[in-house]
Amino acid sequence: MEQTFLFKKVAVLGAGVMGAQIAAHLANANVEVVLFDLPAKDGDKNGTVKKALASLQKLEPTPFSVKGKVNDIEAANYETDLSKLTACSLIIEAISERMDWKADLYAKVSPHISSEAIFATNTSGLSLKALSEKLPADLRNRFCGVHFFNPPRYMSLVEIIPGPATHSTVMDNLEAFLTTVLGKSVVRAKDTPNFIANRIGVFSMLATLHHAGKFNLGFDEVDALTGPSIGRAKSATYRTADVVGLDTFGHVVKTMSDTLPDDPWSRIFVLPDWMKALIEKGAHGQKTGAGVYKKAGKEILVFDAAKGEYRPSAGTVAAEVESILKLKNPSEKMQKLRECNHPQAQFLWAVFRDLFHYCAVQAESICHNLRDLDFAVRWGFGWSAGPFETWQAAGWQQIAKWIQDDIAAGKTLAAARLPDWATDGKRTSVHSQEGSFSPAQNKIVPRPQSALYSRQLYPELLLGETPVYGKTLWENEGVRLWTTGDGIGILSFKSKMHAIGQEVLDGVIKAVGYAENHLKGLVVWQTEPPFSAGANLAQVSGLLAAKNYSAAEAMVKTFQDASQSIKYSMVPTVAAVSGLALGGGCEFVMHSSRAVVALETYMGLVEAGVGLIPAGGGCKELAIRAAQSARGGNIFHFVKMAFETIAMAQVSRSGEHARELGLLRPSDMVVFNPNELLHIAKQQAISMSESGYRPPLRPKDIQVTGKGGIATLKMIIVNMLEGKFISEHDAAIAERTATVLCGGHVEGGTTVHEEWLLELERSLFVELLKTEKTQARIDYMLKNGKPLRN
Amino acid sequence: MTLKTKDVYIVSALRTPVGKAPRGALRNTRPDDLLALVLKSVVNSVPNLDANEIGDVIVGCAMPEAEQGMNIARISVLLAGLPHSLPGITVNRFCSSGLQAISYAADKIRLGEADVMIAAGTESMSLIPMMGHKVVMNPKVFESNENLGIAFGMGITAEKVASRWNVSRDAQDAFALESHRRAAAAWQAGEFNSEIVPVEVEESVLNPESMTIKTTKTNFLRDEGPRADSTLEALAKLKPVFSAQGSVTAGNSSQMSDGAAAVLLMSEDALKRYNARPMARFVSYAIAGVPPDIMGIGPKEAIPRALKMAGLNQNQLDWIELNEAFAAQSLAVMNDLKLDPSKVNPLGGAIALGHPLGATGAIRMATLAHGLQRRKLKYGMITMCVGTGMGAAGIFESL
Repeated sequence: MEQTFLFKKVAVLGAGVMGAQIAAHLANANVEVVLFDLPAKDGDKNGTVKKALASLQKLEPTPFSVKGKVNDIEAANYETDLSKLTACSLIIEAISERMDWKADLYAKVSPHISSEAIFATNTSGLSLKALSEKLPADLRNRFCGVHFFNPPRYMSLVEIIPGPATHSTVMDNLEAFLTTVLGKSVVRAKDTPNFIANRIGVFSMLATLHHAGKFNLGFDEVDALTGPSIGRAKSATYRTADVVGLDTFGHVVKTMSDTLPDDPWSRIFVLPDWMKALIEKGAHGQKTGAGVYKKAGKEILVFDAAKGEYRPSAGTVAAEVESILKLKNPSEKMQKLRECNHPQAQFLWAVFRDLFHYCAVQAESICHNLRDLDFAVRWGFGWSAGPFETWQAAGWQQIAKWIQDDIAAGKTLAAARLPDWATDGKRTSVHSQEGSFSPAQNKIVPRPQSALYSRQLYPELLLGETPVYGKTLWENEGVRLWTTGDGIGILSFKSKMHAIGQEVLDGVIKAVGYAENHLKGLVVWQTEPPFSAGANLAQVSGLLAAKNYSAAEAMVKTFQDASQSIKYSMVPTVAAVSGLALGGGCEFVMHSSRAVVALETYMGLVEAGVGLIPAGGGCKELAIRAAQSARGGNIFHFVKMAFETIAMAQVSRSGEHARELGLLRPSDMVVFNPNELLHIAKQQAISMSESGYRPPLRPKDIQVTGKGGIATLKMIIVNMLEGKFISEHDAAIAERTATVLCGGHVEGGTTVHEEWLLELERSLFVELLKTEKTQARIDYMLKNGKPLRN
Repeated sequence: MTLKTKDVYIVSALRTPVGKAPRGALRNTRPDDLLALVLKSVVNSVPNLDANEIGDVIVGCAMPEAEQGMNIARISVLLAGLPHSLPGITVNRFCSSGLQAISYAADKIRLGEADVMIAAGTESMSLIPMMGHKVVMNPKVFESNENLGIAFGMGITAEKVASRWNVSRDAQDAFALESHRRAAAAWQAGEFNSEIVPVEVEESVLNPESMTIKTTKTNFLRDEGPRADSTLEALAKLKPVFSAQGSVTAGNSSQMSDGAAAVLLMSEDALKRYNARPMARFVSYAIAGVPPDIMGIGPKEAIPRALKMAGLNQNQLDWIELNEAFAAQSLAVMNDLKLDPSKVNPLGGAIALGHPLGATGAIRMATLAHGLQRRKLKYGMITMCVGTGMGAAGIFESL
């Protein structure tokens, strides 16, 4: 039997912005990690690393799943601690992109690396072959590239690149570790300069810079055009450069120009003069407070290259171009962009055309297949579609012809001809259900079928791929109950943002009933995030407009019934959560037999934002958990934490943080790869079922703090109110939250049953519902998508 | 029949240096140990004193629970190795507990019920949080607006005083800066030396590598609070803590602290018997109530009462120890009563020196008794505001 490779301990060399964040993510995943850097000149030898860890704690968005994780990173230095490397199964080198520095470090560390360990470099562009030559021969077959994207916790892409001698099992083991343990989306790249994502992404930026100059567009205007309006990240082009750092961007461009002298596009692998001047002046972007953009008080200024100075940023998309970008039909959209004479449209067509042209010409040398290329760009740069998907959507033949016409007319940035596979007259697609085209192999290659990827039941799809969501067992307007045939039912909501309205509530209750009679277990899982944005406010608002409070109360009662049916189902119920799980969505999770949540889970009982208290069992569950946690000790301590969670409408910043907030239990699981969520949730349901599952018994002796508890929380509330941190209505909501969590105005130490807490929740919820201010909050949220403070 | 009362003399008043809470030098030092240390010190300050003759040990403590619960006064008497014949009682009037203890001790002598008494105060805010470990409010507090002030945090009451008495943020910050300047200068000049009892801080620390517990001993000699390098700019940068648009910050409020002090009081008979030299004479003490939501203004009511009992006018006071719970309330009191700023807290106040709640009254007794003697001044006063709406003031005459 093949031996499992155990990633027992990992070392990260280099506590710079990437190394330190990679270490943080390893710590998030409960991987023992030791972070190295140069010894500090004075004082504590680990001072450099400790300083890096201190600044890591201030970084936003936070690299840590929970604050305390920083303590799980062991600090070390190259002078006194090299012996610590021997215990590491994986060493990730993440120092500056200097061949000479890397070579020095490799010489220093290689004697201490165990004979089994994998040695990987987080280079973003240096040649693996050249780096490999700096290593002793016996280490070369365990050496490869592992290219994380910044910020590594949030960017799912990791490119892995073999060196000339890398053993295939090294690549397989590393891929499995990155995928399942760290939750990353791995693309295998070739040892070509800047690999895949940066090669294409940086090319795209350079082409954009070039055409922006040619069409004489302002940088703010370009960012308005190349951001979300064409399915790309909000930071678009120039702001991305600011975030990356203009100096860093300059290094990457230099690598391209140094290493790709024969690239037909090499003439554009240079920084524009104005950018060089900014770098020289120390305006390196976000990290220096000024770059292409800079903030002046509340105003955002943008650099004007023609005048050589900053001016207020105001870039807008012209109305006629905007109407083209809003077209649903991609083919029509691309045609109109090409035909429209507005410089913005001409610019966009040129940017797309040259991107397609470049990708088609380079694909054979830089990627194994076009799926890898499209995913690398999507995951590495946050594009909603890869270049080939966009091309395919717009009509393969039409685009191919236009590119060829433009090459012939001398409009393209290079004269290189499109490869034969791209101009094949029969081609309509490069991605399909069967797989994606591989220019290198000149055939369609299917998705990987390995055990690792069989855990991803519904991975992210490309254009041309359609998912098959099992067999429907039962459905209504709100939900679909389906199965893949293993005895586990999967319940998915059909509503927008998976909001919970009457039809979802009815559906949940019915589905649980169905599962009890016909299935081994039930998994609540959505075919795409979020898990649920909460109750369907539009329905609630409708009832309020009609002043139909009894119907509203009945709806709350059904909500509670749905939660209770999940909790007391005779078969195990597992909530499989990724993304937002707010309000009622959070309450369903809290009532499940077990929750399996992705690392990137943002859970919270946020009802206060719309002037309400959680009344789908959320307050009740936290009251029960407070009494359980106290184990006969000071219940109020736990009630207070629950109160803060609800009254401040706290939303978790990770799955693990949801546990700290008391929204998840010790038995709930956090998984790192959202694509594996459903698989793991099903396994949990099966395992509970196989263990002779029985639902919990209904608690009748929940100890509460009563009047004294309410009064003590009220003390907190009046101080917040006096200090004007909260409004009168916030105070009214908080007081009702306190009342439920403390079990009502009973004597301290009273024991109550679950139904009483549900009754309290419901009646106080309806009380708030009747207030004008709560109704105003609900309306505001429906109109503006954010909470009103009144 | 009129009761003829006896005069009461302060013979010794000693204090520990004050540590910052909750992470200062005394963070692990128990308040009963601190108390035992100062009790022993004042007893030892009079050679040949027969401890059996001490009538009672009255100790002020504002959060008498946990490490400072269980009648800490009696426990510390025993821990100090004093005779078991010596009793002990803990009293609580929040921030004036230490001064209240002095007043009660003086009363026993004044009435002729004892010739020798000890008053003291102790508080560890590192170990026992403000309001204690378990807070349970009475729901009736919220039934009327008048009582709502009971539920207010002290910071909110300071904000109320600041806005009602028009004390600006700038004035508060300037007052805070001056407190630090005076305290730092006083330490520099050695003005506190004679009142200080050094604390030997013993801590057991695990060395995780060698798997051994090492007991460290360090001598704690100086108040940790004063910052000679404090600046108006730094103070101005601090955000209001208690109110979103308020003016009260961590910088212009008293510091949370750990510390203890004890005071040895005697009748004239006892002075003669032990040939003891008195430092000061107890003159008067007054306590007054004000609305709880503006508790900081308390001294404004207490000071005139104490002066009246003493038969003195305000101008006769040479030195006023006004506890700086907050710069806002200190300034409101000073402005309303027209107290001379140069006479108020000449060595700095609680903003710089710290405020270990129930110990502060006794601590400032040590500062005042030594200070009046050193500077050859006559009348001094200790005054403070008290949570839930009270003010206390005690007047002493240096001898």
